[in-house]
Amino acid sequence: MAEAIMEFPVTTIPHFHSSSLHPANSITIAVPLRQRSNAQFSNGWQCQVGSRKSRRGCLSKVKAFPDWPLMAVLVQHIEGQRDVIIHKSVWHLNDEAIKNVYTFYIMFTCWGCCFFGSTKDPYYDSEVYRKDGGDGSGNWLYEKQDDIEESARAALWREELIEEIEQKATGAGLPELEEAGRK
Amino acid sequence: MASSPPPKYFSLLTNSSSFHSTHSTKLSCLNLLDNNSHSAKRSSSVLPHATKKKNPWLDPFDDGEDPNMEYGSLFADGKQEEDPRPPDNPNNPYGFLKFPPGYAVEIASLGLKVRGDVRRCCCIISGGVYENLLFFPAIQLIKDRYPGVQIDVVASARGKQTYELNKNVRWANVYDPDVDFPEPEEYTDMVGVLKNRYYDMVLSTKLAGLGHAAFLFMTSARDRVSYIYPNVNAAGAGLLLSQTFKPNTVNLSEDGYNMYQQMVEWLGRPFRSVPLHPVPPLKVSISRKLKEFVEAKYKNAGAEKGKYVVLHGIMTDSQASMQSRGDTDSLLPIEIWANIAKAIRGVKPVFVIPHEKVREDVEENISADACILFITTPGQLAALINDSVGVIATNTAAIQLAHARKKPSIALFCSEEKAKRFVPDAEEKECTIVSSKSGRLIDIDLGAVKDAAKIFNAHPIWLCPS
Repeated sequence: MAEAIMEFPVTTIPHFHSSSLHPANSITIAVPLRQRSNAQFSNGWQCQVGSRKSRRGCLSKVKAFPDWPLMAVLVQHIEGQRDVIIHKSVWHLNDEAIKNVYTFYIMFTCWGCCFFGSTKDPYYDSEVYRKDGGDGSGNWLYEKQDDIEESARAALWREELIEEIEQKATGAGLPELEEAGRK
Repeated sequence: MASSPPPKYFSLLTNSSSFHSTHSTKLSCLNLLDNNSHSAKRSSSVLPHATKKKNPWLDPFDDGEDPNMEYGSLFADGKQEEDPRPPDNPNNPYGFLKFPPGYAVEIASLGLKVRGDVRRCCCIISGGVYENLLFFPAIQLIKDRYPGVQIDVVASARGKQTYELNKNVRWANVYDPDVDFPEPEEYTDMVGVLKNRYYDMVLSTKLAGLGHAAFLFMTSARDRVSYIYPNVNAAGAGLLLSQTFKPNTVNLSEDGYNMYQQMVEWLGRPFRSVPLHPVPPLKVSISRKLKEFVEAKYKNAGAEKGKYVVLHGIMTDSQASMQSRGDTDSLLPIEIWANIAKAIRGVKPVFVIPHEKVREDVEENISADACILFITTPGQLAALINDSVGVIATNTAAIQLAHARKKPSIALFCSEEKAKRFVPDAEEKECTIVSSKSGRLIDIDLGAVKDAAKIFNAHPIWLCPS
C-alpha cells in the first residue's frame, strides 16, 4: 500500500487502461465516482472509452452507495502468474460527516441528560412550578399601578362626599341626613 | 337678510371663481373682503360670544349656529345630564333598557355632538408638579360644567404624582408631552391608549406645533383643544385642532397662578342657557391613608401635629424641588434657611428636603437634631402642610398647597412682579409676601422674613380643624 495513489489525476485515466497492456509493478487507483463522471463530460473521447468500459462493468457497476466517496480497488500484478485482483471495499467518512456524527451524538447526549434528568426533579413536580400562574384573569401583563391609583382616587372622592354631606347635615341640623352620611 | 344666501357660502363661490379665472383676481378679492365684513357683522349680531374667527379650512360649510333652530326634548337646554343611560326596563325578560318613545339608539350620540356634551375628557398637561397643581381649578371647572364627565390626565412622571390629591380624575397616565423626540413605542402606545378610550374632548396645555397637534389629532377625539406656539412654530397646528389658544409668551408658566386663563375662559364659556362658569379656587383633597402615613413620618422625625412650621425651598439640583417653570430663581441656600429658622419661636421648624443628599447639609447648618423630612411627592407635602401651623416657602408648590388647605403662609419671592403673578390675592389667602428688592431671591430681606415669621409665634398651639 506504500505505492498507493489515493487520488488519480483525471487526465491519466487512459494511462490506467493502457497499463493492463503494458504491465507495471503495481498501480493502485482510487477515482471518486463523481470526479470520473465530470471527466466524462469534459472530454468527448474519454466519454466514449468510459462508456464502452462501463458497459463491461468495471467500475460503475458497484453502485450500491453511489455518492459515498471512496472505493478502493487494488490491482496487484505478479510476474508469471495470473493477475490476482483483490477487490476491497472500505467505508471512509470524510471529516464533515464524522463531525456531523459526533455533533449529533453530543447533542443527543445533552438533550437526554436534560430531559431525563428533569423528569426526576422534584422542583418541576412541585406546586411551586406546576400551579396555575397569574392572578386568575388570564392576562400575563400586570399593570396594576394605574388601577390602584384610580381606585384610590375614587375612594378619596367618596370620602370627600361623605364629609360634605356630614357638614351639610350638621349645618342644617338634619340628624337623619347625618346618619345617612355616616353609612 | 333672510332672503340673501349664507355669506360664507357666497364667498366660497367667488373664491372658486377666482381659482378658475386668474385674471379677475382683483374683482373677486374685493368681493371676498366685502363678504367677510358682512358675515362678521352678522355673526357678531347673532352670536355675541363667537368672537374668534373660525378656520374656514376646517369646515367650509360651517355658517355657525342657526338662530331659528328649535331644540326639542332631545336637545334640552342647560347642562348635560349626569347619566345619559336610560333606565332599565324591569318588565323586559331580556334586560333591555326602557327607551323613551322616539329614542333612537342609532342617533343618540348625535344629540351629544350637537349639544357639545362631554362624557370623557382627557387633559394632557405639560410641566411638573406646579403646573399640574395649578390645573386643578380647570379640572374642577370641567367637572362642574359637564356633569358626569370622566376626566383622565396624561402628564409627566413627576406631574402625575400630583393627582394623588385630586378626587375628580379617573386615570392618570405617564407620558411626558414635553419630550421632543419620544420613544417611538411609547408614542404609538400612548396614541393607541388615548384612541381606545374614545374621548369627546382632549385638552392640552403644551404649546402645540404641527407634531403635537398631529398627536392630538390621532386620538380621534371630537374636540381637540390646545395651546399653540405664539410664533411660527404653530404653523399647521390649527388645521388639526378644533380650538386653539395663543399665549403671550412661549413659557406658559410665566403667567403664574392664572396661567391657564384662556383655556379656563373657553371651558366656562356661556352656552345657550348655561351662564358663564366661574373658575373655582384651587382645592386639594388628601386621603386618610396619606394623612396617616405622613403623620407617622413626621412623628418619627420629632414633630407634633399642629406644632410645627414647614420650610420648603432648599437649594438643590433635585427634580423634586417643585418649582414652577415660570420662576427659576425660587430656591434659597440652606444657610439662609438656617437664619430664618432661628427667628421661629414656639413652634418647630420642619425642613423638607427633596433628596437625601441634602440631609447632611441641613444637619451641618442647623443642628443634628433638626427636624428633617424627606418628601418628594406633592401628596405627602400637602398632608404635612395640612397638619402644620403654617408654611414658610419660596415660590414652590408648597405655597399653593398652603393656600389650598387654607394655612397661613409666608412666601419669599425674587421680585414683586412674580409675587403678584403667582399669588394674586395674598391677603385673602393669609399669605405674607416678602419679595426681594434686587430681583434676585438670594438678596431677600431677612429682617422682613423674621418679622413675618412672628405670626406663627402668636398662636403657637394651633389645632387644625380637620
